[in-house]
Amino acid sequence: MSPAPLLALRQLVKNYGGVRALRGVDFDLQAGEVHALLGENGAGKSTLIKVITGAHQPNGGTLTLAGQRVANLTPSSARALGIACIYQQPALFPDLTVAENLALRLEATSASSRIDWPARRARAEQWLARLGAEISPEAEVRSLSMPEQQLVEIACALGAGARIVIMDEPTASLTQKEQRLLFAVVRDLRKNGVGVIYISHRLEEIFALADRVTVLRDGQSVGTHAVGDIDEAGLIRLMVGREVAQIYPAAESAPGRAVALSLQAVGCRASGVHNVSFEVRSGEIFGLGGLVGAGRTELARILFGLTPADSGEITLHGQRLTLRSPQAAVAHGIAYVPEDRRRHGVVLELPIAHNLTMAIHRRFFPTTWLRFAAERALALDFIRDLAVKCAGPDAPGGSLSGGNQQKVSLARWLATKPKLLILDEPTQGVDVGAKSEIHKIIRRLAKEGLAVILISSDLPEVIGMSDRIGVMGGGTLRAILPGGSAPHDVMAAALGTTERGAA
Amino acid sequence: MKRFFRELSVLGALAAVLVGMAIFAPAFFSPQPLLSLLTREAPTLIVACGMACVIITRQIDISVGSMFSVCSVCAGLLAARGWPLLLVLPASVALGALLGAVNGLLVAGLRLPSIVVTLATMVTLRQGLNLVRQGEFVNLPDRVQWFGLSQMAGQLVLVGASVVFLVALALAMRHVAAGRFVYAVGTDAEAARLAGIRPQLVTFLVFIFIGALTGLAAMMNLAQSPQVQPLSGAGLELKVIAAVVVGGVAISGGRGNLWGAFTGLLLLACVSPALIHLHIEAYWEKAIQGAIILLAVVADGLRTRKLNR
Amino acid sequence: MSVSPDNKNPRDWKALLTRHEMLLLYVLIAEWLFFYFAGTTTNRRGVVVGFGTLDRQFDILRHSCEIGLLALALTPVIITAGIDLSIGSLLGLCAILFGKLWHDGGLPIPVAAGLTLALGALAGGLNAILITALRLPPLIVTLGTYSLFRGLAEAITHGAITYTDFPASFLFVGQERWLGLPTQAWIFLGVALGVGLLVHRTTFGRAFRTIGFSLEGARYAGLPVARRLALVYVLAGLIAAIAAVIYTARLGQAKADAGTGYELFAITAVVLGGTSIFGGSGTVHGTLLGVAAIAVLKNGLACLPVVMRMNAAEEMSGLLTGALLLLALTASVLPKILSRFRTPHHAPAP
Repeated sequence: MSPAPLLALRQLVKNYGGVRALRGVDFDLQAGEVHALLGENGAGKSTLIKVITGAHQPNGGTLTLAGQRVANLTPSSARALGIACIYQQPALFPDLTVAENLALRLEATSASSRIDWPARRARAEQWLARLGAEISPEAEVRSLSMPEQQLVEIACALGAGARIVIMDEPTASLTQKEQRLLFAVVRDLRKNGVGVIYISHRLEEIFALADRVTVLRDGQSVGTHAVGDIDEAGLIRLMVGREVAQIYPAAESAPGRAVALSLQAVGCRASGVHNVSFEVRSGEIFGLGGLVGAGRTELARILFGLTPADSGEITLHGQRLTLRSPQAAVAHGIAYVPEDRRRHGVVLELPIAHNLTMAIHRRFFPTTWLRFAAERALALDFIRDLAVKCAGPDAPGGSLSGGNQQKVSLARWLATKPKLLILDEPTQGVDVGAKSEIHKIIRRLAKEGLAVILISSDLPEVIGMSDRIGVMGGGTLRAILPGGSAPHDVMAAALGTTERGAA
Repeated sequence: MKRFFRELSVLGALAAVLVGMAIFAPAFFSPQPLLSLLTREAPTLIVACGMACVIITRQIDISVGSMFSVCSVCAGLLAARGWPLLLVLPASVALGALLGAVNGLLVAGLRLPSIVVTLATMVTLRQGLNLVRQGEFVNLPDRVQWFGLSQMAGQLVLVGASVVFLVALALAMRHVAAGRFVYAVGTDAEAARLAGIRPQLVTFLVFIFIGALTGLAAMMNLAQSPQVQPLSGAGLELKVIAAVVVGGVAISGGRGNLWGAFTGLLLLACVSPALIHLHIEAYWEKAIQGAIILLAVVADGLRTRKLNR
Repeated sequence: MSVSPDNKNPRDWKALLTRHEMLLLYVLIAEWLFFYFAGTTTNRRGVVVGFGTLDRQFDILRHSCEIGLLALALTPVIITAGIDLSIGSLLGLCAILFGKLWHDGGLPIPVAAGLTLALGALAGGLNAILITALRLPPLIVTLGTYSLFRGLAEAITHGAITYTDFPASFLFVGQERWLGLPTQAWIFLGVALGVGLLVHRTTFGRAFRTIGFSLEGARYAGLPVARRLALVYVLAGLIAAIAAVIYTARLGQAKADAGTGYELFAITAVVLGGTSIFGGSGTVHGTLLGVAAIAVLKNGLACLPVVMRMNAAEEMSGLLTGALLLLALTASVLPKILSRFRTPHHAPAP
């Protein structure tokens, strides 16, 4: 009779507004086990983590800790119960020392308590030594590298006596040496009876480290296997599932001959992008697929001048470009519809009309004098063309639903009559109806000769919409596949394996 | 070493100035004028300690000058009325704390920007004081001067008290949990809240703290002259902010310490006598003060830019 | 959040003013009436004196020009969610420079004035460079220049020199009337018109608002953020210089302490007028109403018999203005706070 699992989730359900993020997830974690969690973007991994750490409440299902049912978890009660999560972005105080950060997280913070620095330092040293990390407790966190900061986070978790440690893509920014160090730490945790939920899309790590692996797809767990009982192909099959039932507007014409955009060995050291080369033709939709952290948005930021490239060449319609700022990019005819539409895509406090003309000031108002009537007319045109549901051109951006905000964000860039349009997750968080409308719009634009780069984590979308699919991973382009490729092949390329499964 | 690079460089600058003075104007180091200088700056040091805390929490308080004036006048009036000094002192501190609480309520409670709030309270207090006092001086009884001690003894007491206070506060900030809260709140109020700290409460208390310290400083100033001028305290806020910023406390919050503020204050305090000894007119003082603030912030800005590349 | 008032039909003037501004207008009218009745008397010779005289009203207009100009200068700055504490000191410095250029430099008045404007813009440029190129917080930069500019003014004049004996043709600008109004009022109106058009009718104004609401959003839209921010600070410097020239003409002398404390009045006028201290929303006509309210307050107080007896006009106005600023700030955030108490907290979206 196996002991009660450390953590057991039965039929967990979580809805956000109209979106069903988790649809009945079953998952359990044993003490002294490393249980990997695998799934493509949007499968529900981060939602699951938020529920386990108490950040969000589930709408249905049960959560059991060591045999006891737990309801109404909060972040602090989860921490008290021994659940710790280590994110990719460490949430430390940069100007305080390592020892101090540990203390702030671990000690009961009563304002008048006297601080025992030697004890703090000793405790920090102890935890850091256990991790084999050569970090001085007196070091300012600001001066540590990202991997070192992650180790500090792990020390925090250990110090808090966590029995369940969740690691979300921990090796994303680690060197080989640091990865090995981390693996040793994880094995050590396992030896001490800690249960580790290990989220990663690096299959080789999962096979090297984990005992079991659960695959999530569309908010459900579609399979839990011991690592020895399954292979890469099997995992990919589980991740990808059945074929796409959705219908995407068909490509109506072959893309025009002319090459619009050409990238040669483009890279930006600061953002981790390196050696990216591909071409996009006029009238072509070039999908950019890959898993989170692959570097797609980083590449888009390079093309839009937000983080200038420091290597390689970018050529647009035969002209070599140096893109040092968004203004330069816009001047050359590059448009970027960003991922975070509420913060970057639409200014919520401003009316729709103002948002629409925001990128075309110079062209639309050549004397800098505002022309309200013309602006209003333009806004009405776009509202009609894109079927934006709103109270009128004067309605503030914040009054629109997600899908309509996305349309406004898109319209703003269409107004610039760009030569290259980069769309970053254009249908994320958008309802089905608006999704379909946006897809039709993208197809129409391509037909009219626009070169489009479509960044999407939605596998069916990127496969169904693109003429060709560039699959990125680890900051570089791993493969270019034809549109309509098997999801399995795309996922395999994204994961960086050479597995070729059945089509 | 690397960690306190900023504070050490200010110390270096101070050392350079002192060496320069030793060479070009050795008269600066004669004991009596030096002691007078330190005594004059003792109240400023007290307020600077408070300002350091305020700025570390990512706020600012430009009303300290007016608070100082109000506390000085009230304390002076109480003393003139015959109150024993042992009662006047806590009364002044309490008044300062009360004034600080008003700032604190508006900034922490209503989440208003501290610059505008303290700008308003600064003028309201100053004009209110002028209205009531009409510029009248307050004549202090003799027993207030130097706390009834000889001048030399009184000066030593004041300087000693301010240094003791500095050391005590610096130790408290390092060894009492509450002292670390200001750093956490100034760096990332949200993260601090998740760590169990209450950022709004910390902010509120920090304004009360600097108010109380201003009241204390007012008392220390009272003991130095036979009268209270209502204009006393004018320009205090700028002096203190300059000292603190030069000493390495970042306006963006979360960094810096009291020792840096102390060094910055000493450095700026040397400017005025240095000007005199170098035969530069005292009227350049404000301009130099402003230039020093700008240089310090620019240096910090360049350093941050380099770090972020 | 109020939708931008920029593109309402100008003929529909009632809709042009937001509810806040309508309220301010009523307050202004009430205030004016109060001072009219409380501050106007008939003296022994049967002549009407005090607030209700035309002379007094023109005086109000005269006095309000300088603060009004500073408030106009501050409006775009605050709309971009920035602040400029140095404009009062810059007024003093420009006044001194103007006096020096004319008196010591022997330059004709118009040339001296033009040069002063250029220097004012240059000083604003110092703020601009530090804030945009080095990305330093406007608060501490302008606090530093607040001290620097005043200090330079004091240093140049050795704290004592005052420039006087300006020619009558120059004093005309500050002390006489032209076409029925005090001369400087025309200058003020001109600047008000210019800033108003800039903020409400040009792409620059749009950019200011966008930057104020969302700096990142403005960047992602390809707006030239650094250039626009630089513009507001340089413009503020230029306008402060204009105010300095007018100030000198009105007083007939240029002193280093010119403009001391003006920044409070200017900021209060801007906030009173409905411009949010957090940036994004705000109007020039709101600022004008705020300036009027403060000018009437300042001068009306000086007409009240009780204040005259105490000889405390300046103190009262400063006191009340400070209190007014606090009230205006509190009132501006009150709706947000009250709504937080009324509506339950919603769970954040994923």
